[in-house]
Amino acid sequence: MQKRVVFRNRWLPYLLVAPQIAVTLIFFIWPAYQALETSFFVEDVFGFSRNFVWFENFTRLFADKGYLRSFWTTLVFGLSVTFLSMSMALALAVAANRVLKAATAYRTFLIWPYAVAPALAGVLWYFMMNPSLGILAYMLEGTFGVDWNHYVNGNQALLLVIIAAAWKQISYNFLFFLAGLQSIPKSLIEAAAIDGASPTRRFWTIVFPLLSPTTFFLLVVNLVYAFFDTFAIIHATTNGGPADATSILVYKVYSTGFVGQDYGSSAAQSVILMVLVIAMTVVQFRFIERKVQY
Amino acid sequence: MVENRPLAAILTHVVLIAGIVFLCFPVWVALVASTHPGEALQRSPIPMWFGDQGFANYSQLLREGVPAAGGVPLSTMMLNSLFMALGITVGKIAISLISAFAIVYFRFPFRMLFFWLIFATLMLPVEVRILPTYDVVASLGMLNSYPGLIIPLIASATATFLFRQFFMTIPDELVEAARIDRAGPLRFFWDILLPLSRTNIAALFIILFIYGWNQYLWPFLITTDQDLYTVVMGIQRMVNVGEGVPIWNYTMGTAILAMIPPVLVVLVMQRLFVKGLVESEK
Amino acid sequence: MANLKLDRVGKTYAGGVSAVENASFEIADGEFIVLVGPSGCGKSTMLRMIAGLEEITDGDVQIGDRSVNGVEPGDRNIAMVFQNYALYPHMTVRGNMAYGLRNQGMPKPEVEARIAEAARFLQLEPYLDRKPSALSGGQRQRVAMGRAIVREPSVFLFDEPLSNLDAKLRTQLRAELKDLHKRLGATFIYVTHDQIEAMSLADRIVIMSAGRIEQIGTPMELYANPASTFVAEFIGAPPMNVLPVTGEAARAFLAQEARVPDDLGHVGIRPELMSIGDNGIPATITLVEPLGAETLVHLKMGADKLIMRSGHGLALDAGAEIKVAVEAGALRFFDRDGRTRSA
Repeated sequence: MQKRVVFRNRWLPYLLVAPQIAVTLIFFIWPAYQALETSFFVEDVFGFSRNFVWFENFTRLFADKGYLRSFWTTLVFGLSVTFLSMSMALALAVAANRVLKAATAYRTFLIWPYAVAPALAGVLWYFMMNPSLGILAYMLEGTFGVDWNHYVNGNQALLLVIIAAAWKQISYNFLFFLAGLQSIPKSLIEAAAIDGASPTRRFWTIVFPLLSPTTFFLLVVNLVYAFFDTFAIIHATTNGGPADATSILVYKVYSTGFVGQDYGSSAAQSVILMVLVIAMTVVQFRFIERKVQY
Repeated sequence: MVENRPLAAILTHVVLIAGIVFLCFPVWVALVASTHPGEALQRSPIPMWFGDQGFANYSQLLREGVPAAGGVPLSTMMLNSLFMALGITVGKIAISLISAFAIVYFRFPFRMLFFWLIFATLMLPVEVRILPTYDVVASLGMLNSYPGLIIPLIASATATFLFRQFFMTIPDELVEAARIDRAGPLRFFWDILLPLSRTNIAALFIILFIYGWNQYLWPFLITTDQDLYTVVMGIQRMVNVGEGVPIWNYTMGTAILAMIPPVLVVLVMQRLFVKGLVESEK
Repeated sequence: MANLKLDRVGKTYAGGVSAVENASFEIADGEFIVLVGPSGCGKSTMLRMIAGLEEITDGDVQIGDRSVNGVEPGDRNIAMVFQNYALYPHMTVRGNMAYGLRNQGMPKPEVEARIAEAARFLQLEPYLDRKPSALSGGQRQRVAMGRAIVREPSVFLFDEPLSNLDAKLRTQLRAELKDLHKRLGATFIYVTHDQIEAMSLADRIVIMSAGRIEQIGTPMELYANPASTFVAEFIGAPPMNVLPVTGEAARAFLAQEARVPDDLGHVGIRPELMSIGDNGIPATITLVEPLGAETLVHLKMGADKLIMRSGHGLALDAGAEIKVAVEAGALRFFDRDGRTRSA
């Protein structure tokens, strides 16, 4: 945690941490505390007074079908994005790891979407799937007879944002899977081959288990990404619709607070989300801690 | 791999090429669409090869913007994005470097409290504390300003931890040698620690620049002044044009322009980027 | 140049762990002192306390008759050479040597002059503009010494400076170090765990164990008259045979000795003070190690095992029965706590 030798100075260390701590306190801790406090109050319609209501905001939320549905939507969205982007990335990483010489060239073409903003990823797919002129919507209709219209069909809208979110995340997962694969000693694979294991069997019995730390790490990171960082994708395209079909939890906090002006409820939702992030961060760090001890 | 089987080799390349097509296709469509006149994009199927309006479209965008979406020139938006991205990047790196330095190289009361406070920022993304953070910025009079765009985002647990991790790998003897050479803490930081951190700073710079450039929710919340729009959040105004139909050639042109700087950074500085990405997650 | 004095110096860490206890000794100006002992004995802590890198919790350190407790390392007029060299990796050899001088505010021409002199002294002239990463281990070690020399300190501190080098280079640099000390005439304090290094370099050795000083003396004093079984077994390769008085071997040796102190715990004898004779103590050879110039003969006397050093050309094999003769005055006596007792 710390050096054997340290400098002695009474005030310098405080001065050095001051900017970071100031920003943290003013823009992170204080607002988080405000959210916590507000979540216990109900404000009247005109914003003149507010009443302390204990857990009413929370009980109201959990009695609200719309909010519960948003939980469900978030879960479906998060798991789908995670599964789609991780499985595609794993396939690509395994392939890239096989082509030794061309790996760098392929890598170049596979990593750039990381740099594309989620909002832009959303807009790109929104355009491709546009019911009246999107090229993919046109092909879907022409080839499979699917009538694509995410403006009215909630499931299709959800699928749209899932694909856009997964598309953007593939590069990230690919890089970590590739790094994980490259760190597996070649001698292990060769030993398994000498033991007569077929390539498929080798993958599932040797490579995949050895990759499990990476996989687990990515699982958490992707869920966090899908739960929180995808706000922009939804806000820039479907706006949570149609009929709240793509209204995941973070979008709901925003729409309840900014659009619906229901501060107590929005704050309660913030608190629930904070608990969720804290839980996920703890899981992630507990895991890393364990990994370090190996 | 161990065996040399031609079929497997072909399959490998097929998988990779399919992946590349899947990743590149949306950008291809956008790039093509941005070179056509608006009328060409009003009925299906839309063209799949370049039109001749590319230059006209982009110069219109950069100089005057899209009138239906407020008419802010893209050049202004991109400049704003650049200021914001650089501000966030430099700010995060600067304050993380010095706080990691304090935490690793000094022993002082409340050191661990500070450490956990910084850690806590990891658990409080903007998205979950939108309203109260907006209130704080509003009450500080920072709405519609560059400081408002930048300062609330410059706390960084990730960067602090990365530098802390790196400082821990620097041999103790180097500090001792410096102390015998009469270097005080600030001189040690400036003469030795900073030069040694160059690669890490550069790698982090790339990751944070992308992070800063791609900010969406924050600029959307705190800028109502069109002159402060950033390009990533500005595109949302073009997509959601109320009752009207988005002007797709301009919208896609904007998307292309908005992704060029960060994508270019990744491609040009690929090795540093990979290093930064992998290490900042440790 | 300066003399140095440690007066009842102690170091206790925050957790209550004591690294050094009650250490007192004086070092004369120009002396080459080696602190030696097994790892964890407190020798490095002692050096670091002299350097000011470690705060002392008891006693007093004086350099040139000035108490330096609380004085910053940079202000103690010392220089230190580290085991891993601790060269600034981003600076050239010249930059490494100049850094401390520049921090003192020395004018540039003088800095340049000192570097040129040290570089000539250490034959580093061709490497002045290289970075440490472009140098070999031995060259890096020379740069580390150069960085110390240019400061013209009153005391040089060395923390296991040769441990990271291979055996051949170590022997070579050991000789260079001794030569350097002679030419500079400065006070050297040198920490090592290697007793051969200690023996070959030191004017006086300070041997430590578990935070305490076991013995201070010239190498030959320590070798001939170890103050404890610890010293006896630490100095010399192979070490002194230390035998419990209750064993057969010790009783056989003692039977030949005229004056024996009472209250004995152990009896010690150096391997080279025994030889094969016509009469003497019967023993069985268990192993013969011919090393060229000499031969190490492993012996068994009853249940006790010991090692004897013999000249080259020993024509005996394991299993042979021999008689062991002992030189007069060769035995060393220790009490039950391992302290020396004289007859």
